[in-house]
Amino acid sequence: MTTPTILLPALVAVPLLLSALLVVVRHRWLERLLMVGVPLATTTVAVWLVGATSHSNVLVTNVGGYPAVFAINLVADSVTALMMLIMSAVTAVASLMLTLTDEDRRRFVPALVLLLHTGVNGALMTADLFNLFVFIEVMLMPSYALIAVTGSWRRLGIGRMFLLVNIFTGTLLLIGVGFVYGVTGTVNLAALADAGSRDARGASALAMVLFTLSVKAGAFPVHGWLPRAYSGTSGAMMMLFSALHTKIALYAIYRIYAITFGKPGPVLTTVAVIAVSTMLVGAVASFGETRIRGILAYQMVSGIGHILLALVLFSERSLSAGLFYMSHHILTIAALLSAAAAIEFTYGSGRLTQLGGLMRREKALAACMAAGLLSLIGLPPTSGTWGKLSLVLASAEGPGRTPTIYIGAIVLASIASIMALQHLWREVFWGPLPSEYLPDDPKKGRGDPEPLTDDVRVPTRLKVIPVALTGVVIAVFFAAGSIMPFFGDAGKSLIDSYPYMAQVMP
Amino acid sequence: MIISITVGVLVAGGIYLMLQRSMVRTAFGVSLLSHAANLAILTSGVPAWREDPILNVTTPDQAADPLPQAFVLTAIVITMASTILMLALSVIGHNDDLLRAPESGESHRP
Repeated sequence: MTTPTILLPALVAVPLLLSALLVVVRHRWLERLLMVGVPLATTTVAVWLVGATSHSNVLVTNVGGYPAVFAINLVADSVTALMMLIMSAVTAVASLMLTLTDEDRRRFVPALVLLLHTGVNGALMTADLFNLFVFIEVMLMPSYALIAVTGSWRRLGIGRMFLLVNIFTGTLLLIGVGFVYGVTGTVNLAALADAGSRDARGASALAMVLFTLSVKAGAFPVHGWLPRAYSGTSGAMMMLFSALHTKIALYAIYRIYAITFGKPGPVLTTVAVIAVSTMLVGAVASFGETRIRGILAYQMVSGIGHILLALVLFSERSLSAGLFYMSHHILTIAALLSAAAAIEFTYGSGRLTQLGGLMRREKALAACMAAGLLSLIGLPPTSGTWGKLSLVLASAEGPGRTPTIYIGAIVLASIASIMALQHLWREVFWGPLPSEYLPDDPKKGRGDPEPLTDDVRVPTRLKVIPVALTGVVIAVFFAAGSIMPFFGDAGKSLIDSYPYMAQVMP
Repeated sequence: MIISITVGVLVAGGIYLMLQRSMVRTAFGVSLLSHAANLAILTSGVPAWREDPILNVTTPDQAADPLPQAFVLTAIVITMASTILMLALSVIGHNDDLLRAPESGESHRP
């Protein structure tokens, strides 16, 4: 196998160095070029990786050339490649949205976005629990700053809350990693194979790691930080965050559980309770929100429950369904958030009470929103159809009476989501137009209310991304037959982790 | 045993401070908590007294486990960065004894 050994380290090193460069060189067009260009370059590499990791092929680079046991490994298998492809593509699109809403002109935003991208790439590729902690911190450090530079007046308080939640769970994760090291004497994932199913001490240390990661993923009952933090930032920034933070934590949960436990165990019973309640609580809590992005944030929580449910079932079919659901969810939420960001940018508010009657006024965005909402619920012709369907089919294979509970929970969550989302639709797109709006103000963020005139429309440049992303969401519905095999491969490499271990620890 | 008790005391103090209203106290609480984490990691190696883990100076059977030390070093750096961030937030935020949100120059409608 001929791997260009420089490639995997470059995915971490290049964004990191360019991020440092952007702190020093403050040229507007260079900033814009790199902020969109680097994630796009990663996307291109990820497309190549998807091809290179097919048929259970695993690419490994031991950084520094140390022997495998001591080296810092960067590993790419089909799961890594797929997730990197989707996350870097959405990062690029969200960066573009940031430049279109002029938020990239806030202090150091391009440099911080590239640093975030570095952390995401590293967390996807690392095969070492401690490095996972480090890369997650690399990912969160710029996020603390990004929350503070954009968004509404709430952002300072929210920045504190987001910071504290993540530092606290980060510390717990660190203690968990320490316990894993104390029990097993290693933190390399490949060497930890079956460490969880062998004895109870290893299992409890790893369970601590998994549960701190599930706080970072935003699972019930510690999901409260997510809707508050995310809806307090700006729309474009939430688009960036929603595709990365929680999804990296979910990816790590999938990866760590699949390798260290390798079969359904007692930990999954707890995860099952968490998954089902996250699904239902997220869907029901969407009712209580008064802002577009607040509702979408709770729908994200509900989606996290669905993705965790796929882990509970732990079969090849369910894991590929889970990975597909995760990818579909990233795309759909990004499409919806870009539409919400465009509306908020133009009309100055995301509150349901301050919006209305946008269906005739913003036809393209209304169509995007409609398709996105259908996708969240799981109705055709959108990617959500196959996401929910494959999850239901995988649940049906569960043991004993579990299919009834799981499928019932999925259906209940969908019904609750339909009702919450039609509330959003009715308030934003039907009814009378608002009488006034808050124009964009470069100095204050939002100016004083002005009467809504006929020429206040969402600019065409802001419509491009919602329309394009919705196009992708609909295209996935029709092209699912040719996309699914890749996810099937990925699910297989999670279940059968032997090639992964054999390549990392030869 | 002494280290375990120290970890317990640090965690208790850290949690107590984190539950305070003021951001500065919370920042101190987080640093106590991360000290506890560092000590916990150090004990996960060999807690007994060992020689410095330097190649060609000490033999591996006498040297301390270098990996937890490397972990702790990295964790200290990360904690320092986040402590700075928290202290900065406690300065630019509002007076914590007030119930109002900070004035940021932006208008807001209820």
